[in-house]
Amino acid sequence: MTLNTTAETETAKIARGLRERDMELLADLVERCQHRLVRYLLYLTGRREHAEDLAQETWIRVLQRGSQYNGRQRFDPWLFAIARNLAIDYVRKKLKAVQTVSLPNDRDAMLLLPSSGPSPFEAAARSEDAMRLAGRLQILSPLYREALLLRFQEDLSLPEIAQVVGAPVTTVTSRIYRGLAALRSAFEEGGDSPGV
Amino acid sequence: MIRLECDKRFRELIDRSFVEGVSEGERQLIHDHIRDCDGCKRYVELTARTIRGLREFTFTSEADSNAQVLEMLAHHTGTMRQHNVQFKIWAAFAVALSMSIVGSAFVYQVAKFLAAPMHFDTAQVQAGVLVFWLLPSFCSALCLLAAPGENRGIA
Repeated sequence: MTLNTTAETETAKIARGLRERDMELLADLVERCQHRLVRYLLYLTGRREHAEDLAQETWIRVLQRGSQYNGRQRFDPWLFAIARNLAIDYVRKKLKAVQTVSLPNDRDAMLLLPSSGPSPFEAAARSEDAMRLAGRLQILSPLYREALLLRFQEDLSLPEIAQVVGAPVTTVTSRIYRGLAALRSAFEEGGDSPGV
Repeated sequence: MIRLECDKRFRELIDRSFVEGVSEGERQLIHDHIRDCDGCKRYVELTARTIRGLREFTFTSEADSNAQVLEMLAHHTGTMRQHNVQFKIWAAFAVALSMSIVGSAFVYQVAKFLAAPMHFDTAQVQAGVLVFWLLPSFCSALCLLAAPGENRGIA
């Protein structure tokens, strides 16, 4: 009960601060969330430089639309949802600029288009196991990567993840299971089956 | 690949225990089962290892990344406040202008009523309203646009 009350007070304080464009509060939020925001965008786009740029864009959007945060749910899922929409728009814009083929109508499908360049996951792996997962993560569908990150690194609940990705909880759960299955094969004997 | 010698539902229950959480009874069921089943025991170990591995990625941000974001936010906040003030000024001007026109019509009616016993004609009343009401109120509205922001009492 006390913990709930504290959480409500915290989110209400954030909502008020965002409405008033309180720089002190924003500095606190940046300090607390910037690192995680970049990590999320990295999982989503698979590209370091995109992640840094999109994180900055996300904070501008938070500043502009801060009054839309109602303080009834946690701040983090709201922040990630903004970042996700920006990432999709960014990929769409970038692809429109470089190619003339028609783009998918489904917003999520934008994330499925292949990305090139070196894997940021290998550079970030801090253990032998993580190194084995890095290769799999790079070829894993961003939708699965995203679901795994939100569940196991950000520790968001399934309904919160559903809120971020704008999909039903059942879809989110299925993505986590499939992602886990694809990564688990990295540790299995002869674990070189293709990623999902 | 791990062979599915066990009931598929068991593997699903193990997955669920990692992702969604299971009841104490189901947890005990898994615990009892993996004591005797090497395949499922390995499945549990590999899943736990995968999740642990996922938590062993450390992405370092650029050293001044936070400072850059804050600087950019401060700049945007300033710009947005400026735009906000501009908007309020024009809104106040629009309101003042409307009030001076609506007010003039009202004042004209009152002046006409008061001037009747004093035998002022319509042109004189209109001139009076123009000089003593419409022009001063219009000038006041214009002053809102001309005065520096801090003296307008709006910002």
